Amino acid sequence: MATHLQIAEWLEGEPGPGVITARELARRRCEEDRPPPLPTAVPELDRLLEGGLTRGRLVELVGERSSGRFSLALALLAAATQAGEAAALVDLGDGLDPASAAAAGVELPRLLWLRPRGLREALAGAEMLVTTGFPLVVIELGVPPLPGAGSLRGGSQPAWLRLARAARTHDTALVVCSPYRTSGAAAAEVLAARAEPRYLGSGASPLLLLGLDTRVCLEKARGRSAGATETVCQHLAA
Amino acid sequence: MSSARVACLTVPLFPLAARLRSEPELRGEALAVLEGQGDRARVVAATRTVRRSGVRPGMTLPQARALLPDLVARGRDPECERAAQEALLEVAEGFSPRVEDAAEGRVYLDLTGIERHFPAGSLQESEAAAGRALVAAAEAAGMPAWIGIAGSKLAARVAAEEGGSPTVVPAGEEALFLAPLPLERLAPEVRVAVTLERWGVLSIGDLARLPEAEVASRLGPAGRELHATARGLDLRPLTPRRPPPVFREGMELEWPLVALEPFLFVSRAALERLCRRMEARGLACSRLELGLSLEPNGHDQRSVRLPAPTLDAKVLLTLVRLDLEARPPGAAVAGFAFSAHPNEPRVAQLSLLGPAALAPDRLATTVARLFALLGPDRVGSPRAPDGHRPERFELVPYEPPPPPPVHREPRRGLGLLTVRVLRPPVALEVLAAGEDDGDEVAEGSPACGGDGGEPLPRRLLQVRSTAADARARIDGRVRVAAGPWRMEEGWWSDEPVARDYWDVELVGGGLYRIYRERESGEWWADGMYD
Repeated sequence: MATHLQIAEWLEGEPGPGVITARELARRRCEEDRPPPLPTAVPELDRLLEGGLTRGRLVELVGERSSGRFSLALALLAAATQAGEAAALVDLGDGLDPASAAAAGVELPRLLWLRPRGLREALAGAEMLVTTGFPLVVIELGVPPLPGAGSLRGGSQPAWLRLARAARTHDTALVVCSPYRTSGAAAAEVLAARAEPRYLGSGASPLLLLGLDTRVCLEKARGRSAGATETVCQHLAA
Repeated sequence: MSSARVACLTVPLFPLAARLRSEPELRGEALAVLEGQGDRARVVAATRTVRRSGVRPGMTLPQARALLPDLVARGRDPECERAAQEALLEVAEGFSPRVEDAAEGRVYLDLTGIERHFPAGSLQESEAAAGRALVAAAEAAGMPAWIGIAGSKLAARVAAEEGGSPTVVPAGEEALFLAPLPLERLAPEVRVAVTLERWGVLSIGDLARLPEAEVASRLGPAGRELHATARGLDLRPLTPRRPPPVFREGMELEWPLVALEPFLFVSRAALERLCRRMEARGLACSRLELGLSLEPNGHDQRSVRLPAPTLDAKVLLTLVRLDLEARPPGAAVAGFAFSAHPNEPRVAQLSLLGPAALAPDRLATTVARLFALLGPDRVGSPRAPDGHRPERFELVPYEPPPPPPVHREPRRGLGLLTVRVLRPPVALEVLAAGEDDGDEVAEGSPACGGDGGEPLPRRLLQVRSTAADARARIDGRVRVAAGPWRMEEGWWSDEPVARDYWDVELVGGGLYRIYRERESGEWWADGMYD
């Protein structure tokens, strides 16, 4: 039986092999208790994200114009709604075409669509959705400049951190699709997308656009190494 | 079989209690409620402080003010009293399904069999416990009440007026209880009362001892009825009311309001009371109507749209605020009344093996709050209307179907490239090469515009948006232009759509879907492949 003095000595030193801190133990328990990740149904993304979107984490998907990020966001929504989960899209760019979303496999009755006018409304709406318990919330920020980004006092960082904390508390998979890195330290994983168009025919005026080849790179991954890259082929509907 | 037992729940000084329920900030003030206009208004009810200073019911306002200069005077408010009466009825309905509305702060309820819910050593103790619970519930609803329990309505009313609540008259002892009380407690008609006084009948017991047939032959039906009540019999049985289809709360304002904030301040308390009343009955507000009395004689009726039944007073208040800001009433508001149409809150069956459903009440509240934050046209479930124009969409209320009973894996992704719609379409200037090779022509020139067999541009060279909005900026030389392909819709309608589409990749990045209106020759971008 260890005496108080022995315990005090152990606590003062570094934990030895096989010994972990209480904080680490609590973190591991928390991770073990989490529900399984949400599969994205895009094998390349599932490989990058080690099985899918981890519930309770903020994942940022960065891509400039025509990088294929909006199609990837719809693919995530399609996977979640097909699994029977409720999902929400906070569409700051107001770019959703319901017919295209349905064609991409999104079950529209399970999708709640928000069309905020500015970043402040988008963040407030997203927080309401997260605290309600939506398993997947996708925030699509549209194209720059982000409307209302300058009106947030102290910048948007505190808001993203608050949102990430809410997502952790409510086990929500939170995906932020942005034209540039915006969520900062709040993001547990960051994916960057770049795309090349594919055409049928050649020369200056080919016959038909076939689709995009989107290279997705894992730029940041909390707790593991980043740098992996996958290519997602996206094609236009026939 | 046990005999019928009736409780009478009565609120003393009801006009005053109703006013204090609507304006709780007046508690502790020297308050009097008056009926009538101006100096002719007479005191109807007053707080204990006021009564101690000598103010009595029937005094005019100047008389009362002469005795108590600091008197706070309020007029009788039918809207307040109606809401308070409804609240009292709802309290009673929490204890019995058979409740009679006797108006003016009084309700009767059938308490037969209440001993099963309040078990005690004897029926009397059970009824006393139920009575205490009723009084506590009425106080929680903002109204101090007295209660009497007896075998008849009259005996119960007289018992309630005894004070010292609850007063329980044991079964079969109604006549005994009433006998020593003065005859005026039965509130007889003046003509009958004068006759009985002349006969020397002063107490209820004196009247009960007279032969019924003799009383009836001398005093008529009124006398016969009075004789029966003196013996503890009820000639008019309890008449249960039907629950109203709406819940109402409102009040007449002391002075007309012209600003929104003070109105919202008083509305908030009314909405909170409304939500509490519906919550007590397991209901939620599915539609809210607001009636405004406007100066001098106007009226404004409006309906506030709710996405789902809710009990969140803050949400209701925000929606009312948005509605009033969008459509101001146009005159000072002298009174208001909220009518809440109740509905069953949404319920969900929990699943053991499938995905968890969202809690319906939380979802309803969230959607209502999102309505308040963004507006009703910016929240909902998307739907694709018929047709091919991508800029069109429909929003329907968000009511997700229940999740599947077992967990199911999503199908493999289709890998579709979708279009980010530019809503509204962005006007463009396009530099194009015409039918003749190498001839560069500006947009709108005969070489590239018009319909009816006019040539399409052979090559698109440069695209530039004309809008000042930076988010809609599209500018650059065309790297690749694939197309054209044609879209026609509604040729049979008054507004046919005929467009020639190109997919355009710009040198600086961006893959856009642009089109030229065949009718006008104007160029637009309606989407970006992303």
